Amino acid sequence: MEDLRQLINASKLDFASCNSLTELDNVKSKYIGKNGPIAEAMKSMSGLSNEEKPKLGAIINEVKKGIEAALSHQKKIIQEDILNKKLNDESVDVTLPGIKRNSGSLHPISLTMRRIETIFHSIGFDLASGPEIEDDYHNFTALNIPESHPARAMHDTFYIDKNHVLRTHTSPVQVRYMKKNKPPLRIISPGRVYRVDSDATHSPMFHQVEGLWIDDSVNFANLKNVVQEFLQQFFEDDSLTIRFRPSFFPFTEPSAEIDMSWNDGWLEIGGCGMVHPEVLNQVHIDTESFQGFAFGLGVERLTMLKFGLNDLRPFFTHDLRFLQQFKV
Amino acid sequence: MQFSKKWLQEFFEESINEIDLDLVLTEAGIEVEDIQDLSSISNDIVVGEIVEITKHPDADRLNICQVDIGGKDILQIVCGAPNARLGIKVPCAKVGAILPTFQIKKAKLRGIESFGMLCSAKEIGISDDADGLYELDANLKLGLTILDALELNDEIFHLSITPNRADCFSMIGIAREISAATGLAIKEEIKPTLKATFQNLQDCHVIDTVGCPRYCSLQIKGANNSSLLPAFFIQYLERGGIKSISPIVDITNYVLLKLGQPLHAYDQNKINGKISVKQTIKNEKITLLNDQEIQFQGKELVVSDESGPIALAGIMGGKLSSIKKDTTDIILESAFFNPTHISGRARSFSLNTESSHRFERGVDFNITQYALEYAAGLILKYCGGEVSNTENITNDLPSRNSIMLRTSKIANIMGISISNDDVANILDRLKLEHTQKNGEFKVIPPSYRFDLNIEEDLVEEIIRLYGYNNIPAIRPDMEAKMLSSKSTKKSNHNIKNDLVMLGYNEIISYSFVSKDVELKLHGNENPIELKNPIASNLDVMRSRIWGSHIEALLYNLNRGQKNIRFFEIGSVFSAIGNSYKETNVLSGLAYGDQIPEQCGDKSREINFFDIKGDIEKISGNTLSFTNQNKSIPKCFHPGKCASISFNEINIGWLGQLHPSFQQEHELPRNTYLFELNMSVLMDISAGEYIIPSKFIPVRRDISITVDKSIMVGEILTYINKANIKHLLSIEPFDVYEGDSINIDKKSIAFLILIQDTYKTLEENDVQKVVDKILESLRNEFNATLR
Repeated sequence: MEDLRQLINASKLDFASCNSLTELDNVKSKYIGKNGPIAEAMKSMSGLSNEEKPKLGAIINEVKKGIEAALSHQKKIIQEDILNKKLNDESVDVTLPGIKRNSGSLHPISLTMRRIETIFHSIGFDLASGPEIEDDYHNFTALNIPESHPARAMHDTFYIDKNHVLRTHTSPVQVRYMKKNKPPLRIISPGRVYRVDSDATHSPMFHQVEGLWIDDSVNFANLKNVVQEFLQQFFEDDSLTIRFRPSFFPFTEPSAEIDMSWNDGWLEIGGCGMVHPEVLNQVHIDTESFQGFAFGLGVERLTMLKFGLNDLRPFFTHDLRFLQQFKV
Repeated sequence: MQFSKKWLQEFFEESINEIDLDLVLTEAGIEVEDIQDLSSISNDIVVGEIVEITKHPDADRLNICQVDIGGKDILQIVCGAPNARLGIKVPCAKVGAILPTFQIKKAKLRGIESFGMLCSAKEIGISDDADGLYELDANLKLGLTILDALELNDEIFHLSITPNRADCFSMIGIAREISAATGLAIKEEIKPTLKATFQNLQDCHVIDTVGCPRYCSLQIKGANNSSLLPAFFIQYLERGGIKSISPIVDITNYVLLKLGQPLHAYDQNKINGKISVKQTIKNEKITLLNDQEIQFQGKELVVSDESGPIALAGIMGGKLSSIKKDTTDIILESAFFNPTHISGRARSFSLNTESSHRFERGVDFNITQYALEYAAGLILKYCGGEVSNTENITNDLPSRNSIMLRTSKIANIMGISISNDDVANILDRLKLEHTQKNGEFKVIPPSYRFDLNIEEDLVEEIIRLYGYNNIPAIRPDMEAKMLSSKSTKKSNHNIKNDLVMLGYNEIISYSFVSKDVELKLHGNENPIELKNPIASNLDVMRSRIWGSHIEALLYNLNRGQKNIRFFEIGSVFSAIGNSYKETNVLSGLAYGDQIPEQCGDKSREINFFDIKGDIEKISGNTLSFTNQNKSIPKCFHPGKCASISFNEINIGWLGQLHPSFQQEHELPRNTYLFELNMSVLMDISAGEYIIPSKFIPVRRDISITVDKSIMVGEILTYINKANIKHLLSIEPFDVYEGDSINIDKKSIAFLILIQDTYKTLEENDVQKVVDKILESLRNEFNATLR
């Protein structure tokens, strides 16, 4: 009987020397296989008395459980080893670069226009647009720039035919919008404009954003606020200040150039003024009931300042090394 | 406009040195472009006299000058100026002198030593005149510094004057602005008394009285036009940007700068008979002072004698009647020409003169005679001679009606209140005549202000003098009205973001391209041409953006880039009859690898379906692609291009660049181009939303064989239109052509999902759906199950 009990320890030793599940399986049959000692002991039961049978049965059970426990213990060890090895084999160099797909970018001018739209949208400015091949009437006449007015010489205009030009500013959108919509109205209109001019600081095509606000009482002091607050938001600088300089645009009266504080000096950033009564007359808005202001800002200039760029040309030369810096 | 600060000082009793002129002018709306400090000139530039001059032995254009600068030594200086000659006094920069752009060093020129430099006006930084040596007054002491000799203790103000402020194109105008802004009083000038000693016998007529409302003239006899004017005269002129020519011309220019009244002097002896101011007859001709010959269209305003035009009125005089050094008898003219008759005229002859610049903006019509007689007085004083009486022909001058100005209107526009007294005070400072009753002013603008016509013009004057920067920034009171926003409409920002995520880089290219690109690449034989292009390769409006994309591709390939994707959203243009159509499009290019070369993934070149997939992603899979459209652009590979349509209307194109273009541009790899109409793209909405069935769809794969010519798209469209019950979706997952099937056939494998909304389908239900599909395919496409 004691021999039988010794099998537990013997199996423990035997199992412990196994390194694989197959090996373990082979050794296992040595103890609890069909012809193993446990099976033998079971067979011997038949020759025992009814009193002895349960005793031996209990011992066989105890030994069998002991062996099975040893077996499962070793099995666990081996499985763990296998898993550890597998994990070890599968580990990667996490410092290798991530899988690349081609990565895109948004043009800095686009980023600026988007930012301008968002800021003005937050105080209820709607978006408006107009054609780039503009007729003489909308680009000039309706904006109080009659034929042969010296102010036309201020605009180096690209001509398409006698009556059509490439718009020299975004202001014609004002006229088009006011023809279709009744005040009160608030719009901005960013877009391409064209002037016959090309050097390090001028491009024959560039971008402006036009703003217009007409209601019964919006005034010059309000204009100062809107322009200043916009620039503060745009440049994320609440200490930014502006200076208005008297100037002349045929479509505003009074008119002002907008200077912005920048590096201890002033930098011209756009033009603005109260909409000229003649412009309102052209679109049949009663100047005794309504008044308002308009402003125009140079998008390239804003972009250059925002991103700390000192040259305008890379905006239009399409160099990916430049463009890919600007993400959404 | 530019002026000498010293000259400006002459208009005031009090010193203007205490005033920040830059700031005062800027705040008055006169832009100060530059302030040029003349006193910074080197003390080593002195008055020198050429006392000996010999030809350089080895250089034809050089002279060896011996220059006396008042000291013991005579300097030897090699000089190339054409006007270098014996006896003239010129600025001499000694060794060590610092000029605006360089420092003078001892030098050897073609083997001859040179100890300094003789200078032009430009070289010493007093004007832009670089034509030869600057010849100095013969009376100047040798060795005197140029600073002292030319009284360079002065500043030149360079201004940019807006077109509305004609009155500021003169010293008196600038002085008036400074007086209004600062309160400094302008000195009263004593009117010269001119004694006429003979009768003006010149017969003058004004025929075009609208073009010339006032014409004044007088005659001067026996003047000496080679006399010497005082130095300050020349200094003020030069610092005002006008070159000294001859005493009489200089005096007319002096008056022009001082009072803003352009004058013209004719040589009396070259005038034939009576003078008339009139419109030209077609084909009349004149040769101008600058030798430009003009043939008239008719109706241009001119001054004529009996032989023809002698001056382009208000713009430039004729060559024939111009005065010379030896002219003694002149007719001096001072006129008021109507701005509308001058405006644009000079530009039409490509001229821009001091005179036209002022007349087209408006000249004070009340100083016509005063300026004439003032100039005549100066001529008599400096050149001698006798003067006749003035002939003044005046017709209808511009009216100066009173303009209403309400204090309440000012406050409405300004945004803050202002008192009647403050308004009156500002009007006084501006010398605007006014009366007031109950806050309503009646203002009469002076003859020199052409920009004050309506109430708002006066409001601007009040705000300007009040100070733009004294007005606070006040946040507007506004209605809290929300903006409408369409949930079904995509913004171009959404579309741009999608493209960026798909690896496209946004570019912005010029809207004008070359005619060649339009014709060859874009296939546009009728491009919109610019009348005045900035360059010959930017002469027409683009009808597509692809040309710019390819240019951008080449630019980047040349800089070592390999995988390139661009997009641009912008207008393209086409001419339709007499009108122009602008379409907002999304255009793109893709080139190189879909998956770039890298660790951990196999690189693969972009193919047609990658780009088609990109388009499907941004459009939400609602577009159809066919290559049946006859108008498919010629720049595409005919077998790899598609017309893209939405609801059966063409909205764009996709294709591989034709191999011939690829070869022309030496592109080693395939290039794909696409274009989509933005307004359609922005309007594509998601359609209806559904709650998915809780039953899992059953998958069946079928493989059929059809004729090669049948497009998968046709099959899908047909099946989808057939409305087969329980069919959830059908997608191709393999297309095979090759050995195991007939050469005219291809095999297509479809993945079919079948589902019922309310129950799990039985096998025979599923089979029914598959059978139905197969039957349709057999009937329509002669398909066989493989």
